[in-house]
Amino acid sequence: MSESILLDPGSERDPVQRSPRALPADLTGRKVGLLDISKPRGDVFLDEVQSLLEAEGAEVVRFRKPTFTRPAPTELRQDIAGQVDVVLEALAD
Amino acid sequence: MAAASRFVVVTKRDCPTCQLVAPALAALGASAPLEVLNQDGPGFPEAIADKVVDDSELDRSYALDIEIVPTLIRYDGEVEAGRTEGWDRGAWQALTGLTDLGTELPEFRPGCGSLTQDPLIAPRLAARHGGGGLGARRISLGPLEDAIEACFERGWSDGLPVVPPTPERVLAMLAGTSREPGEVIGEVPPDLVPVSIEKIAINAVMAGCRPEYLPVVIAAVEAALDHPFCMHGLLATTYFSGPMVVVSGPLARRIGMNGGGNALGQGNRANATIGRALQLVIRNVGGGRPGGVDRATLGNPGKYTFCFAEDDDPKWTSLSEDKGFARDATTVTLFAADGVQGIVDQKAREPESLCRSFAAGLRVVSHPKMVQAADAFLVVTPEHARVFHDAGWSKQQVTDRLNELLTIDSDELIQGVGGMAEGLPAKLAGRTFRKFREGGLTLVRAGGQAGMFSAIIGGWGASGEVGSSPVTREVRA
Amino acid sequence: MHDISDLDGRGIPGGFIASDEFREAARAQGDALGFHARALYVAHPIQDRTDDEMKALAREAFPGILELLRDPPGGSERS
Repeated sequence: MSESILLDPGSERDPVQRSPRALPADLTGRKVGLLDISKPRGDVFLDEVQSLLEAEGAEVVRFRKPTFTRPAPTELRQDIAGQVDVVLEALAD
Repeated sequence: MAAASRFVVVTKRDCPTCQLVAPALAALGASAPLEVLNQDGPGFPEAIADKVVDDSELDRSYALDIEIVPTLIRYDGEVEAGRTEGWDRGAWQALTGLTDLGTELPEFRPGCGSLTQDPLIAPRLAARHGGGGLGARRISLGPLEDAIEACFERGWSDGLPVVPPTPERVLAMLAGTSREPGEVIGEVPPDLVPVSIEKIAINAVMAGCRPEYLPVVIAAVEAALDHPFCMHGLLATTYFSGPMVVVSGPLARRIGMNGGGNALGQGNRANATIGRALQLVIRNVGGGRPGGVDRATLGNPGKYTFCFAEDDDPKWTSLSEDKGFARDATTVTLFAADGVQGIVDQKAREPESLCRSFAAGLRVVSHPKMVQAADAFLVVTPEHARVFHDAGWSKQQVTDRLNELLTIDSDELIQGVGGMAEGLPAKLAGRTFRKFREGGLTLVRAGGQAGMFSAIIGGWGASGEVGSSPVTREVRA
Repeated sequence: MHDISDLDGRGIPGGFIASDEFREAARAQGDALGFHARALYVAHPIQDRTDDEMKALAREAFPGILELLRDPPGGSERS
């Protein structure tokens, strides 16, 4: 049996698409994870983002994927989830 | 036969009657336009394979509303002029106008069931053709999405995997009730969202119910939405409680519920999934989620599911009877329950002694110094019930005696007494209070044959008018 | 996209930054996963920029980055 169509079990007040989790209202005192996907020169970009975020009162934790060609390994995802409140992944080109 | 007549015959190779009529089909095909729709693949009947259309997807059989194979249909132009089911030589000859059709065959053979009627296939066909009166929003998953994971990601799960609610499964579930899918039975807190029979069926699918459980789930939802049950407050409280479902009456046994050994435990599909379906309705339809409106400090494992059957005990009234229904009625009773507290007594041979043990256990519900607060259920097991049966004590006598034994001198309950700050204000000294409000203590029978243990299930500290009262609803088909 | 989708499932919201070239790929990936992550697209190409140009790009993108990471009541303050 195909499971590609499901009937909504709920109030149907949410969008049909799964929507991203709500963001914090502000970043002061929040831990922001910066996930570097390991493309050349992404670190330069993220260094600057880090100082700008710190100026906003955020605490920045840096992470780096072993390779941009694959999703982050589970262990890295667990590290991120255990340490931060919100995450930014960069920089794909 | 009208000049523009043509024929459609629906067959399946697997049916002996269809095999029997194969020569007649060849004769018909030689004298008139004929199309044979075969339900189990191409190539049957072999002699007229060029006239056979593979209908193994059953779409055409479904559109023609076929119940029996073979079915012979005559069209005059585009209009169906008549049909006959099975093999009835006279009827086939009359419909085709071929007076020598099938003379070598027996006069009559009944047909076989059409595959469109197969209980596993019918709901799929109805879903594929938009039938069944389903109105819920359809959610298309991406090609890389796993349906079970998608249910987790959309927040539809209580933490355990749910069965993905496909239209086919929901239609099969709805076959468990005679009620219309669109019937709205109330508004589910906390968001006060109208809940239809269809929405209940979707959540029952997700919980893992069989269709025959659906009437019980519907009654449980109805009870939860009944004003005295106070579902909104029960959900929002920081207290442990969640809805416990007790099913009393013959349907509990018929659908395979457990009221015997391990009745409060795991391993029975009906017990497990009926209680879970109620919780999923509150979560998904009402929007009641932990961390959201559900503010429980600890909660309790029964908030996944807490549902059992009352054991039939001919010597005592049933819970249905206690709540004013007939003994042969099947009812659902909801109680705002915490977890299970065991009470052991392996010595008592007299009702009075056993009542005193029960009372001592019941005294500590929520706190030994709290009275007129939480309700409680006492689940009396067979070996304990026997003590009362042997002495001829009715359930009411036991309940009355427990309430007497639980009438407490308030001097024991005042704040600070016993070195415990918790308690009643000093101004209430010098009086007596019953532990439980009038009607607050309910006895039911369940459990395995061996073991001199019963179970106390304490309730939410806010009972009666200020909180939740147990609510009973009769199960309707 | 996979990482942001997975982390969202673990309770961590967020988003990603990519160059314009990834816009269509991200849309297709989001459709396949049934999840469209918050994204900020910057002008392609990136890898041939000087350090100073990369830093300028970060400063230029920063208001958009804040929108990926926080949702102040009453909307974002981009002025």
